[in-house]
Amino acid sequence: MANMKKNNYGSKDSLGKNVSSKEIKIKNKVNKDISKKKEKKEVKEKNTSPKDIILSIKNASYRYSDAEEDDYALKNVSFDFECGKLYAIRGRSGSGKTTLLSLISGLEKCTEGEIIFDGKSLKDMNLDKYRNSDIGIVFQSYNLLPFMTAVENIILSMDVNGLKIKNKKEKAIELMEKVGLKASYANRKVLRLSGGEQQRVAIARSLSYNPKMIIADEPTGNLDKQTETEILEIFKKLAHEENKCVIIVTHSQNVCDTVDKIYDLKKVKEK
Amino acid sequence: MFILKNAWISIKRNKGRNILIGIIILIIACACTITLAIKNTAVDLINSYKSAYDKEVTIGFNRENMMKDFDPSQEEGRESAREKFENIASYTISDVEKFADSDYIESYYYTYGVGLNGNSIKKAEIESNSNMPNGFGHGKENNMSETDFTLTGYSSEDAMSEFISGAYTMSEITDNAWDIAFNGNYVFINEELASYNNLKLNDKIKLEDEDGNVYEFEIIGIFKENEDDNQGAMSMFSNSVNTIITNSDAVVNLTNGNENLKASIYPTFIIDSYDNVEKLQDEFYEKGLDENFILQTNEELAESGVASVKNILSFSTTFLVITLIIGGIVLFVINMINIRERKYEIGVLRTIGISKLKLTMQFVAELVIVSVVALTLGTGIGAVSSKGVSNSLLANEINSSNEKTEEVNKNFGGMNRGGEKGTMHGKGMPVVQAYDSIDAVVDIKVLLELLSIGISLVLVSSIASMVSIQRFSPLTILKERS
Repeated sequence: MANMKKNNYGSKDSLGKNVSSKEIKIKNKVNKDISKKKEKKEVKEKNTSPKDIILSIKNASYRYSDAEEDDYALKNVSFDFECGKLYAIRGRSGSGKTTLLSLISGLEKCTEGEIIFDGKSLKDMNLDKYRNSDIGIVFQSYNLLPFMTAVENIILSMDVNGLKIKNKKEKAIELMEKVGLKASYANRKVLRLSGGEQQRVAIARSLSYNPKMIIADEPTGNLDKQTETEILEIFKKLAHEENKCVIIVTHSQNVCDTVDKIYDLKKVKEK
Repeated sequence: MFILKNAWISIKRNKGRNILIGIIILIIACACTITLAIKNTAVDLINSYKSAYDKEVTIGFNRENMMKDFDPSQEEGRESAREKFENIASYTISDVEKFADSDYIESYYYTYGVGLNGNSIKKAEIESNSNMPNGFGHGKENNMSETDFTLTGYSSEDAMSEFISGAYTMSEITDNAWDIAFNGNYVFINEELASYNNLKLNDKIKLEDEDGNVYEFEIIGIFKENEDDNQGAMSMFSNSVNTIITNSDAVVNLTNGNENLKASIYPTFIIDSYDNVEKLQDEFYEKGLDENFILQTNEELAESGVASVKNILSFSTTFLVITLIIGGIVLFVINMINIRERKYEIGVLRTIGISKLKLTMQFVAELVIVSVVALTLGTGIGAVSSKGVSNSLLANEINSSNEKTEEVNKNFGGMNRGGEKGTMHGKGMPVVQAYDSIDAVVDIKVLLELLSIGISLVLVSSIASMVSIQRFSPLTILKERS
């Protein structure tokens, strides 16, 4: 089962194995289901209505408190994000990518304009609640608590969310397997995991309370090509199969080639 | 719940730092327990000592008032002052009873004196003209200086201040003296007078007034006047040699129906609080006390007896304050370092959506858990050692307490006069508790004080974490880390 999940996330190919007729039937049924879903999705994409927009950035501008009056880190940005799509926000260094991500994740507030999530302005929302329920954040440097094990990091996020389920550990291990991590890694301190494995733990943590939107800041920046592809597959699957809105802030071409839509950020003030 | 779980994980993770914090709190708790136990014991001791010296009020001359118009350079001025002194309206037993009927007065006693001449005994001749004990002789009714003897009647044992102070000491006494001393014509006489007239216990003496009325008394005790207290005596006899001590009822019986026999009364009132003395004085004036009299208290005397304990109290309070200030600062600094070291953790927790309040609660909970353990241990150690430390600090006070008790008992003839073992009996006299040791107990009061100190320490040392968590921007922290 674990192997199948791994295959689903594209880490290994199982071709060449002998399969029974029963297995072939099941496989065919699964393929039919997937193609039906794809058809539905395509129809949905054609008829995109404002209802599908989960996040809307409206003329958002941001200026640091110690900056000059017209020195904006981000100026008049307006983007819309829909559920079930994978987005990339691309831009050169200093273009305001990370600033935009901070605004979307509620870690900073817009100086001007506003951000609407699921029909509500972030200004009117409890941003702590927003961060621990509505969105999941994945960072380039993983930001896991190093003194905790992989599974403890995931459970902590469930605790912060206030999730009331009996077997949090089982659920956490399930999530680890979903992102391609072996269950045997569960009790390993995160510092003993590789970069790719830590990033998978970070993704599993962000999924622990089933948020509607995943925001990732250069999630593959510290990873090799192979691992980058695997991680991107996870995000793709989350968007396309679990109908989540996944936003990746990046300057990686590989990421841009994978996503459904790219938003470009240009430098606000060229010197 | 997860706040406590996280707090516990953090405590286990940062064993070294938490042990250090625990040791500091333990030392503070230990020092505070000992100091508070000593402080409370010292306060109890002071209160006990003050209550030993009942809050007494006596009536004395208002010299300031009497001397305000006095010009010593003028003969007329001296005459006027003398006349004024002689015209001061004295007070009688009924006045004293009237004064004593006050809400501020708990009880009272008095000494009643009258001058009589010898009939069966002779006066011991002394050079001094006065044979009156201190405190007598005010008022125009006084005529005792012209007689052979002063018959002094005490209303109770409490009134026998000369014995309490040690000025007089009983040298011989009958077995039942204290059972009958206040019921009938029984007297204590000076041993010099006894020797001069060849008198012994159970002998009868006769005294007469100026009208020739004869009164008979039985000797039930012989006392001596201590030389140390016999100030200014120039003769071979002490001042009290011609003072005969009896009870006040005996004197009242003598004066009743005999207008020519004038007596002087010296009352002592036991009051509930020194704060009410001024109100009581006004009340006395309203009840007819001459304005040339004022009320005097024994507050200074009571205060002087506890000076050494007060020093210990002051020392322990200062020590407590210094311990708390230094302890508070050290804890504050350690917590500030702790917060700085855990900035990344704060950043991550804030990013995944833990609120500032919950985060603060987690940091405070960590400190509370460590503090509770350390405070419990510190209090235990402090409670065990506080008795020994306080006894060694208060050793001098214990000795003087014991000596005082023994001394007062000795002055009354070494008799157990109905009081509890180890204590003096009766109001008005120093009921000095004989302490074998000071029982510096860590009681509920000390525990409550420690609890409030513990809470204050946790709050003070948590200020660093509270402020930092409010100020830290998670994004900045994580950027720094990256």
